[in-house]
Amino acid sequence: MTSQWTIGSAIARNGPAVVRTGRLAQTVRWFRRGVVPWLWGLVFPAVLFPIWLAGSHWGWLPEQILPKPADVWGTLLEMLRSGELKAHTGISLLRVVSGFVMGTAAGLSLGAAMGLSRTTDDYVRPLFTAIAQVPALAWIPLAMLLLGIGETLKIVMIAVAACIPIAMNTRAGIRHVPREFVEVGDTFKFSAWQKLRLVVLPGAIPSIFTGLRYGLTHAWIALVSVELVASSEGLGYLLVWGRQMFWLDTVLVAMIVIGLIGFITDTLLAVIEQHLQRWRIDGA
Amino acid sequence: MSGHLNVQHISKRFTVDGGPIEVLSDVSLSIRPGEFVSIVGPSGCGKSTLLRLLAGLDHGFDGTILHDGKPILGTSLDRGIVFQEPRLFPWANVRQNIGLGLQNAPLSAAQKAETIAAHIGLVGLQGFERAYPHQLSGGMAQRAAIARGLVNRPQILLLDEPFGALDAMTRGKMQVELQRIWAQEKITMVLVTHDVDEAVFLGDRVIVLAPRPGRISHIFEVAAQRPRLRTDEGLVRVRNEILLALEGQGPASASTGRPDRDLLARPAA
Repeated sequence: MTSQWTIGSAIARNGPAVVRTGRLAQTVRWFRRGVVPWLWGLVFPAVLFPIWLAGSHWGWLPEQILPKPADVWGTLLEMLRSGELKAHTGISLLRVVSGFVMGTAAGLSLGAAMGLSRTTDDYVRPLFTAIAQVPALAWIPLAMLLLGIGETLKIVMIAVAACIPIAMNTRAGIRHVPREFVEVGDTFKFSAWQKLRLVVLPGAIPSIFTGLRYGLTHAWIALVSVELVASSEGLGYLLVWGRQMFWLDTVLVAMIVIGLIGFITDTLLAVIEQHLQRWRIDGA
Repeated sequence: MSGHLNVQHISKRFTVDGGPIEVLSDVSLSIRPGEFVSIVGPSGCGKSTLLRLLAGLDHGFDGTILHDGKPILGTSLDRGIVFQEPRLFPWANVRQNIGLGLQNAPLSAAQKAETIAAHIGLVGLQGFERAYPHQLSGGMAQRAAIARGLVNRPQILLLDEPFGALDAMTRGKMQVELQRIWAQEKITMVLVTHDVDEAVFLGDRVIVLAPRPGRISHIFEVAAQRPRLRTDEGLVRVRNEILLALEGQGPASASTGRPDRDLLARPAA
């Protein structure tokens, strides 16, 4: 009997290889691979939210410091309805997008120049490395004197913040393309342009995307910093103003919106990256 | 018929730790069009260096190498190369990887597609055109690399320990495949290997290199008929002779830069 059971369960174990090609099984697999990791990501929010709820309910902290979730929700709806949130978010998004686009252009060119040419690298990298150590916030006093406190200041600060990780990762990605692959190009008489297009760029893409994602995060951080210091609109301004007026619900709404937009844009970049290098995922 | 290689008094030095190391010393060799030449030798004998010079990948050597009478100054589409690692681009599938070889070929898009398909067929990879390198076994990846090396229809194919990383069964199969491809394409092939059986099974001639400095120590003619059988008596005899010749060299001692005398003396004793 026992041996029969063993055989039976062995078949049951091996059976799904056939069954799993069905539609139901496909759904199961999609659920496991696509949905389950997301659910894991919800564990911490699901733990933190009740703590917040309990904390504000029993008054662990004064209401001025920790408002009730319901109040924050109410403020969010109110700010949405009045168009206030949309205006602030709009202006911040515009700044981030313009700064990030400029930073990307500069970062990609600078990184490519440093990665492709040893001479450029030797000239530029020491200064670049030094500049990269200075946080965006520390640039603001000097930049204010040079650029004033208008839009130029904000966009340039965001561009600088985004440019640094993009340039560093682009340089590293290009440098780390295996010499052996470039040699294959040599044996096929690739021109410099063909080597760049067919060997170096595809090889550097994972690293470039890492740089873009860091760049975007840094752009957001720079936005908030610069709006905290010198602005009368935008999400960063909303934070300062909310704190000064002790409207912590407004502060929390601004923080949630900043986090949410950052999360969405990062996910968007990740999806583009996955699409560009399907070879890494399929079958692996 | 083209595909003639003439190596005249080649010497090559590398600088290691500030001092020059002679990797190849006065190597001369003539390879006939359509010939299959195997080069064997212990590691450090400069066999891969020699092959890279033939490919035109390395520069800065003394002597001349002529391909059909013209000095080799760089790489050429007339000389294909297969490395020990397949070196397939991970971001491109089999068809695209093979197609890379045709980037600079004077062919129309339709001709290119046809040539790629023909070479996928030649190495037996039909059905895997869209597979990515990480989805291929070692043997399949090396087949794709061979197809990429041949896709320009070069006069000479240079092979640098192409089956060195494969398991014994796959290696044997690939050797048979390579023999078939060589017979079918009728081109010159130069194979660098550390596997004496492989060298004898495939080569019309086997060149034995001695190390430090790398130089030709013996040249063996392999007269056995093709297609060959591994058990062929003639093959086994040449194989044994080569093994004896290699044993005679032994590993050179690094301090003197000369072959070890004791090992040289042993076969005679």
